[in-house]
Amino acid sequence: MAMEIISSQMKRVQLFEVVGRVDSTNASELGAAMDQAADEGRNYIVLDLGGVEYMSSAGLREMVRVLKRVKRSGGDLRIANPSERVREVLELAGLDSIFEIYPTQVEAVGSF
Amino acid sequence: MGEVNSLSIAARLEEVRDACDFVVRAAESSGLDERAVYHCQMAVDEALTNIIEHGYGYEGADSTIEIRCQTENDRFIITLIDDSPAFNPLEHEAPDPDEPLDSREPGGWGIYFIRRLMNEVSYERENGRNRLTLVKHIVPAGELEAGQGGEAELPFPVRKIESDAVVITPSGRLDSNTSPKLERVLNLMLEEGHIWLFLDMTEVTYIASSGLKILVSAWRRAQDQKGDVLLSGLQPRIVEIFEMVGFDMLFKIFPTLEAALAARSKTG
Repeated sequence: MAMEIISSQMKRVQLFEVVGRVDSTNASELGAAMDQAADEGRNYIVLDLGGVEYMSSAGLREMVRVLKRVKRSGGDLRIANPSERVREVLELAGLDSIFEIYPTQVEAVGSF
Repeated sequence: MGEVNSLSIAARLEEVRDACDFVVRAAESSGLDERAVYHCQMAVDEALTNIIEHGYGYEGADSTIEIRCQTENDRFIITLIDDSPAFNPLEHEAPDPDEPLDSREPGGWGIYFIRRLMNEVSYERENGRNRLTLVKHIVPAGELEAGQGGEAELPFPVRKIESDAVVITPSGRLDSNTSPKLERVLNLMLEEGHIWLFLDMTEVTYIASSGLKILVSAWRRAQDQKGDVLLSGLQPRIVEIFEMVGFDMLFKIFPTLEAALAARSKTG
Protein backbone atom coordinates (compact mmCIF):
# COMPACT_ATOMS: atom_id res chain seq x y z
CA MET A 1 0.00 0.00 0.00
CA ALA A 2 1.25 3.42 -0.84
CA MET A 3 0.76 6.46 1.33
CA GLU A 4 -2.44 8.41 1.81
CA ILE A 5 -2.73 11.75 3.57
CA ILE A 6 -6.05 12.95 4.90
CA SER A 7 -5.93 16.61 5.79
CA SER A 8 -8.53 18.31 7.98
CA GLN A 9 -8.66 21.90 8.98
CA MET A 10 -9.82 22.27 12.56
CA LYS A 11 -10.39 25.43 14.55
CA ARG A 12 -6.81 26.00 15.64
CA VAL A 13 -5.09 22.98 14.31
CA GLN A 14 -4.27 21.48 10.96
CA LEU A 15 -4.59 17.71 11.24
CA PHE A 16 -2.89 15.24 8.92
CA GLU A 17 -3.80 11.59 9.15
CA VAL A 18 -1.24 9.49 7.39
CA VAL A 19 -1.99 5.97 6.25
CA GLY A 20 0.32 3.38 4.74
CA ARG A 21 4.01 3.51 4.12
CA VAL A 22 6.26 6.56 4.30
CA ASP A 23 9.61 6.08 2.58
CA SER A 24 12.03 7.88 0.28
CA THR A 25 9.62 7.70 -2.67
CA ASN A 26 6.85 9.67 -0.98
CA ALA A 27 8.18 11.43 2.15
CA SER A 28 8.46 14.69 0.23
CA GLU A 29 4.71 14.55 -0.48
CA LEU A 30 4.07 14.45 3.23
CA GLY A 31 6.47 17.34 3.73
CA ALA A 32 4.80 19.34 0.94
CA ALA A 33 1.35 18.84 2.46
CA MET A 34 2.55 20.20 5.79
CA ASP A 35 4.44 23.02 4.08
CA GLN A 36 1.25 24.09 2.38
CA ALA A 37 -0.51 24.45 5.73
CA ALA A 38 2.45 26.41 7.10
CA ASP A 39 2.45 28.62 3.99
CA GLU A 40 -1.12 29.56 4.85
CA GLY A 41 -0.05 30.46 8.35
CA ARG A 42 -1.43 27.30 9.88
CA ASN A 43 1.50 26.46 12.09
CA TYR A 44 -0.23 24.30 14.67
CA ILE A 45 0.07 20.89 13.08
CA VAL A 46 -0.87 17.43 14.33
CA LEU A 47 0.42 14.41 12.48
CA ASP A 48 -1.63 11.34 13.28
CA LEU A 49 0.60 8.38 12.50
CA GLY A 50 -1.92 5.75 13.61
CA GLY A 51 -2.24 4.36 10.10
CA VAL A 52 1.46 4.33 9.32
CA GLU A 53 2.65 0.77 9.04
CA TYR A 54 6.19 1.71 8.11
CA MET A 55 8.33 4.84 8.11
CA SER A 56 11.94 5.21 7.03
CA SER A 57 14.37 7.97 7.94
CA ALA A 58 13.13 9.91 4.89
CA GLY A 59 9.83 10.45 6.73
CA LEU A 60 11.59 11.47 9.92
CA ARG A 61 13.68 13.94 7.97
CA GLU A 62 10.58 15.69 6.62
CA MET A 63 9.01 15.79 10.07
CA VAL A 64 12.12 17.38 11.58
CA ARG A 65 12.36 19.88 8.73
CA VAL A 66 8.74 20.99 9.11
CA LEU A 67 9.05 21.08 12.91
CA LYS A 68 11.97 23.51 12.62
CA ARG A 69 10.00 25.61 10.17
CA VAL A 70 6.78 25.92 12.16
CA LYS A 71 8.66 26.50 15.43
CA ARG A 72 10.29 29.55 13.85
CA SER A 73 6.78 30.93 13.35
CA GLY A 74 5.74 30.15 16.90
CA GLY A 75 3.91 26.95 15.91
CA ASP A 76 4.52 23.29 16.61
CA LEU A 77 4.25 19.90 14.97
CA ARG A 78 2.93 17.27 17.35
CA ILE A 79 2.63 13.57 16.79
CA ALA A 80 -0.32 11.36 17.66
CA ASN A 81 -0.72 7.63 17.94
CA PRO A 82 2.52 6.21 16.51
CA SER A 83 2.69 2.42 16.30
CA GLU A 84 5.07 0.62 18.61
CA ARG A 85 7.51 0.16 15.73
CA VAL A 86 7.40 3.80 14.62
CA ARG A 87 7.77 4.93 18.22
CA GLU A 88 10.85 2.76 18.59
CA VAL A 89 12.37 4.39 15.51
CA LEU A 90 11.56 7.87 16.88
CA GLU A 91 13.29 6.91 20.11
CA LEU A 92 16.33 5.53 18.33
CA ALA A 93 16.78 8.86 16.57
CA GLY A 94 16.29 10.77 19.83
CA LEU A 95 13.16 12.37 18.37
CA ASP A 96 10.96 11.37 21.29
CA SER A 97 12.53 14.24 23.20
CA ILE A 98 12.18 16.69 20.30
CA PHE A 99 8.57 16.03 19.34
CA GLU A 100 5.62 16.09 21.66
CA ILE A 101 4.05 12.67 21.19
CA TYR A 102 0.49 11.88 22.27
CA PRO A 103 -1.19 8.49 22.48
CA THR A 104 -4.35 9.72 20.75
CA GLN A 105 -5.35 12.23 18.10
CA VAL A 106 -7.80 13.90 20.50
CA GLU A 107 -5.07 14.55 23.03
CA ALA A 108 -2.67 15.88 20.41
CA VAL A 109 -5.26 18.24 18.93
CA GLY A 110 -6.38 19.30 22.40
CA SER A 111 -2.83 20.08 23.44
CA PHE A 112 -2.79 23.25 21.35
CA MET B 1 24.62 -23.11 5.27
CA GLY B 2 21.10 -22.17 4.28
CA GLU B 3 19.59 -21.66 0.87
CA VAL B 4 20.30 -18.28 -0.72
CA ASN B 5 17.38 -16.27 -2.08
CA SER B 6 18.31 -13.52 -4.45
CA LEU B 7 16.57 -10.56 -6.07
CA SER B 8 17.96 -7.97 -8.44
CA ILE B 9 16.46 -4.50 -8.77
CA ALA B 10 17.28 -1.52 -10.94
CA ALA B 11 19.01 1.17 -8.88
CA ARG B 12 15.92 3.40 -8.64
CA LEU B 13 14.05 4.48 -5.51
CA GLU B 14 10.80 3.13 -7.00
CA GLU B 15 12.18 -0.41 -6.83
CA VAL B 16 13.25 -0.30 -3.19
CA ARG B 17 9.76 -1.26 -2.12
CA ASP B 18 10.00 -4.60 -3.97
CA ALA B 19 13.33 -5.28 -2.29
CA CYS B 20 11.77 -4.53 1.11
CA ASP B 21 8.91 -6.95 0.43
CA PHE B 22 11.41 -9.59 -0.66
CA VAL B 23 13.47 -9.15 2.52
CA VAL B 24 10.37 -9.15 4.73
CA ARG B 25 9.26 -12.52 3.29
CA ALA B 26 12.72 -14.03 3.70
CA ALA B 27 13.08 -12.64 7.23
CA GLU B 28 9.68 -14.01 8.23
CA SER B 29 10.47 -17.47 6.95
CA SER B 30 13.82 -17.41 8.79
CA GLY B 31 11.92 -17.31 12.09
CA LEU B 32 12.55 -13.69 13.05
CA ASP B 33 9.79 -12.07 15.10
CA GLU B 34 7.72 -9.14 13.82
CA ARG B 35 9.93 -6.53 15.45
CA ALA B 36 13.12 -8.01 14.03
CA VAL B 37 11.51 -8.30 10.59
CA TYR B 38 10.68 -4.59 10.76
CA HIS B 39 14.29 -3.83 11.69
CA CYS B 40 15.52 -5.81 8.67
CA GLN B 41 13.10 -4.04 6.36
CA MET B 42 14.16 -0.62 7.58
CA ALA B 43 17.89 -1.43 7.44
CA VAL B 44 17.57 -2.64 3.84
CA ASP B 45 15.44 0.37 2.86
CA GLU B 46 17.99 2.78 4.34
CA ALA B 47 20.94 0.95 2.78
CA LEU B 48 19.40 0.76 -0.70
CA THR B 49 18.27 4.39 -0.55
CA ASN B 50 21.84 5.40 0.33
CA ILE B 51 23.28 3.38 -2.55
CA ILE B 52 20.81 4.88 -5.04
CA GLU B 53 21.17 8.45 -3.79
CA HIS B 54 24.86 8.60 -3.00
CA GLY B 55 26.40 5.64 -4.82
CA TYR B 56 24.66 6.20 -8.14
CA GLY B 57 23.63 9.84 -7.67
CA TYR B 58 20.12 8.93 -8.90
CA GLU B 59 21.63 7.85 -12.23
CA GLY B 60 21.58 4.12 -11.67
CA ALA B 61 18.42 3.20 -13.57
CA ASP B 62 20.51 1.02 -15.92
CA SER B 63 22.46 -0.57 -13.07
CA THR B 64 21.29 -3.38 -10.86
CA ILE B 65 21.60 -3.99 -7.16
CA GLU B 66 21.49 -7.55 -5.98
CA ILE B 67 19.88 -8.46 -2.68
CA ARG B 68 20.68 -11.86 -1.19
CA CYS B 69 19.06 -13.35 1.88
CA GLN B 70 20.10 -16.46 3.69
CA THR B 71 19.73 -18.05 7.09
CA GLU B 72 22.77 -19.59 8.71
CA ASN B 73 22.11 -21.18 12.07
CA ASP B 74 20.79 -18.33 14.21
CA ARG B 75 21.82 -15.56 11.81
CA PHE B 76 19.68 -14.00 9.11
CA ILE B 77 22.10 -12.55 6.59
CA ILE B 78 21.28 -9.89 4.00
CA THR B 79 23.91 -9.01 1.41
CA LEU B 80 23.59 -5.99 -0.90
CA ILE B 81 25.86 -5.94 -3.93
CA ASP B 82 26.16 -2.98 -6.31
CA ASP B 83 28.69 -1.63 -8.79
CA SER B 84 28.53 2.04 -7.93
CA PRO B 85 31.83 3.79 -7.03
CA ALA B 86 33.48 2.49 -3.88
CA PHE B 87 31.70 3.81 -0.84
CA ASN B 88 32.05 2.47 2.65
CA PRO B 89 29.12 3.87 4.63
CA LEU B 90 30.63 2.59 7.86
CA GLU B 91 33.47 5.11 7.62
CA HIS B 92 31.07 8.00 7.92
CA GLU B 93 30.41 9.63 11.21
CA ALA B 94 27.01 8.87 12.66
CA PRO B 95 24.73 11.65 13.84
CA ASP B 96 24.05 12.06 17.54
CA PRO B 97 20.50 11.32 18.78
CA ASP B 98 21.08 13.69 21.71
CA GLU B 99 21.55 16.60 19.30
CA PRO B 100 18.96 19.36 19.92
CA LEU B 101 16.58 20.39 17.16
CA ASP B 102 18.35 23.60 16.16
CA SER B 103 21.66 21.97 15.34
CA ARG B 104 20.27 18.78 13.81
CA GLU B 105 21.54 18.04 10.35
CA PRO B 106 19.05 16.35 8.07
CA GLY B 107 21.36 13.66 6.67
CA GLY B 108 23.28 10.68 7.91
CA TRP B 109 20.48 8.91 9.73
CA GLY B 110 20.27 6.03 7.29
CA ILE B 111 23.54 4.45 8.29
CA TYR B 112 22.84 5.25 11.93
CA PHE B 113 19.64 3.22 11.77
CA ILE B 114 21.34 0.38 9.89
CA ARG B 115 23.89 0.04 12.67
CA ARG B 116 21.36 0.30 15.45
CA LEU B 117 18.81 -2.05 13.92
CA MET B 118 21.13 -4.85 12.88
CA ASN B 119 23.45 -6.98 15.01
CA GLU B 120 26.36 -7.04 12.56
CA VAL B 121 27.19 -4.74 9.65
CA SER B 122 30.21 -5.06 7.40
CA TYR B 123 31.45 -3.65 4.11
CA GLU B 124 33.81 -4.98 1.48
CA ARG B 125 34.92 -3.74 -1.93
CA GLU B 126 35.41 -6.75 -4.17
CA ASN B 127 35.95 -6.98 -7.95
CA GLY B 128 34.72 -3.45 -8.48
CA ARG B 129 31.60 -4.00 -6.42
CA ASN B 130 30.39 -2.82 -3.04
CA ARG B 131 29.20 -5.58 -0.77
CA LEU B 132 27.31 -4.57 2.35
CA THR B 133 26.40 -7.38 4.72
CA LEU B 134 23.69 -6.96 7.34
CA VAL B 135 23.05 -9.64 9.95
CA LYS B 136 20.17 -10.05 12.37
CA HIS B 137 20.41 -12.62 15.10
CA ILE B 138 17.50 -14.99 15.35
CA VAL B 139 16.35 -15.28 18.94
CA PRO B 140 14.22 -18.35 19.68
CA ALA B 141 10.70 -17.54 20.84
CA GLY B 142 10.55 -17.08 24.61
CA GLU B 143 14.03 -15.69 24.90
CA LEU B 144 14.42 -11.99 25.00
CA GLU B 145 16.95 -9.96 23.19
CA ALA B 146 16.91 -6.42 24.41
CA GLY B 147 19.89 -5.08 22.53
CA GLN B 148 19.38 -3.19 19.32
CA GLY B 149 22.37 -4.62 17.57
CA GLY B 150 25.10 -2.87 15.69
CA GLU B 151 28.19 -1.44 17.25
CA ALA B 152 26.16 0.49 19.79
CA GLU B 153 24.66 -2.79 20.90
CA LEU B 154 23.70 -2.95 24.54
CA PRO B 155 22.75 -6.53 25.12
CA PHE B 156 20.91 -7.06 28.35
CA PRO B 157 20.94 -10.79 28.94
CA VAL B 158 17.97 -12.00 30.93
CA ARG B 159 18.08 -15.24 32.89
CA LYS B 160 14.90 -16.58 34.45
CA ILE B 161 15.78 -18.25 37.72
CA GLU B 162 12.32 -18.83 39.14
CA SER B 163 8.80 -18.28 37.87
CA ASP B 164 8.74 -14.86 39.52
CA ALA B 165 12.42 -13.96 39.47
CA VAL B 166 14.93 -12.98 36.79
CA VAL B 167 18.54 -11.87 36.66
CA ILE B 168 19.13 -9.00 34.24
CA THR B 169 22.67 -8.05 33.31
CA PRO B 170 22.83 -4.61 31.71
CA SER B 171 26.19 -3.38 30.51
CA GLY B 172 27.93 -0.27 29.28
CA ARG B 173 26.42 3.17 29.63
CA LEU B 174 22.85 3.64 30.76
CA ASP B 175 22.12 7.01 29.24
CA SER B 176 19.14 8.61 27.54
CA ASN B 177 19.93 6.60 24.46
CA THR B 178 20.23 3.16 26.03
CA SER B 179 17.98 3.43 29.08
CA PRO B 180 14.76 2.92 27.08
CA LYS B 181 15.99 -0.56 26.23
CA LEU B 182 16.49 -1.40 29.87
CA GLU B 183 13.07 0.07 30.55
CA ARG B 184 11.55 -2.22 27.94
CA VAL B 185 13.21 -5.26 29.48
CA LEU B 186 12.12 -4.32 33.00
CA ASN B 187 8.55 -3.58 31.92
CA LEU B 188 8.29 -6.80 29.97
CA MET B 189 9.58 -8.82 32.91
CA LEU B 190 7.16 -7.15 35.31
CA GLU B 191 4.26 -7.70 32.90
CA GLU B 192 5.19 -11.38 32.75
CA GLY B 193 5.00 -11.57 36.52
CA HIS B 194 8.70 -11.56 37.28
CA ILE B 195 8.42 -9.25 40.24
CA TRP B 196 11.83 -10.08 41.69
CA LEU B 197 14.30 -8.27 39.49
CA PHE B 198 17.95 -8.99 40.20
CA LEU B 199 20.07 -6.45 38.38
CA ASP B 200 23.65 -7.54 38.07
CA MET B 201 25.31 -4.15 37.50
CA THR B 202 28.89 -5.40 37.31
CA GLU B 203 29.23 -4.32 33.69
CA VAL B 204 27.51 -0.96 33.95
CA THR B 205 30.08 1.81 33.57
CA TYR B 206 27.85 4.88 33.78
CA ILE B 207 24.29 5.75 34.70
CA ALA B 208 22.53 8.97 33.71
CA SER B 209 19.40 10.44 35.24
CA SER B 210 17.29 8.68 32.60
CA GLY B 211 18.68 5.34 33.82
CA LEU B 212 18.04 6.23 37.45
CA LYS B 213 14.47 7.22 36.63
CA ILE B 214 13.83 3.86 35.01
CA LEU B 215 15.21 1.96 37.99
CA VAL B 216 12.95 3.87 40.37
CA SER B 217 9.90 3.28 38.24
CA ALA B 218 10.66 -0.45 38.03
CA TRP B 219 11.28 -0.51 41.78
CA ARG B 220 7.86 1.11 42.40
CA ARG B 221 6.07 -1.32 40.13
CA ALA B 222 7.86 -4.30 41.66
CA GLN B 223 7.00 -3.10 45.16
CA ASP B 224 3.36 -2.66 44.18
CA GLN B 225 3.31 -6.32 43.27
CA LYS B 226 5.12 -7.35 46.46
CA GLY B 227 8.39 -7.90 44.65
CA ASP B 228 11.59 -5.89 44.63
CA VAL B 229 14.54 -4.68 42.61
CA LEU B 230 17.84 -5.98 44.01
CA LEU B 231 21.06 -4.50 42.70
CA SER B 232 24.47 -6.07 42.91
CA GLY B 233 28.04 -5.58 41.76
CA LEU B 234 27.91 -1.79 41.39
CA GLN B 235 31.16 -0.19 40.26
CA PRO B 236 32.53 2.47 42.65
CA ARG B 237 31.55 5.27 40.27
CA ILE B 238 27.98 4.03 40.15
CA VAL B 239 27.88 3.74 43.95
CA GLU B 240 28.98 7.38 44.08
CA ILE B 241 26.13 8.44 41.79
CA PHE B 242 23.66 6.40 43.83
CA GLU B 243 24.84 8.03 47.07
CA MET B 244 24.63 11.47 45.53
CA VAL B 245 20.95 11.04 44.70
CA GLY B 246 20.11 9.03 47.80
CA PHE B 247 19.37 5.83 45.91
CA ASP B 248 21.53 3.86 48.32
CA MET B 249 18.70 4.35 50.81
CA LEU B 250 16.02 3.27 48.37
CA PHE B 251 17.43 0.13 46.81
CA LYS B 252 18.75 -2.99 48.37
CA ILE B 253 22.33 -3.11 47.15
CA PHE B 254 24.54 -6.17 47.45
CA PRO B 255 28.23 -6.65 46.74
CA THR B 256 27.59 -9.70 44.56
CA LEU B 257 24.72 -11.30 42.71
CA GLU B 258 25.09 -14.37 44.91
CA ALA B 259 24.60 -12.25 48.01
CA ALA B 260 21.47 -10.69 46.47
CA LEU B 261 20.03 -14.08 45.58
CA ALA B 262 20.82 -15.44 49.05
CA ALA B 263 19.14 -12.45 50.69
CA ARG B 264 15.94 -13.09 48.83
CA SER B 265 15.85 -16.82 49.58
CA LYS B 266 16.12 -15.94 53.28
CA THR B 267 13.20 -13.54 53.27
CA GLY B 268 11.04 -15.00 50.52
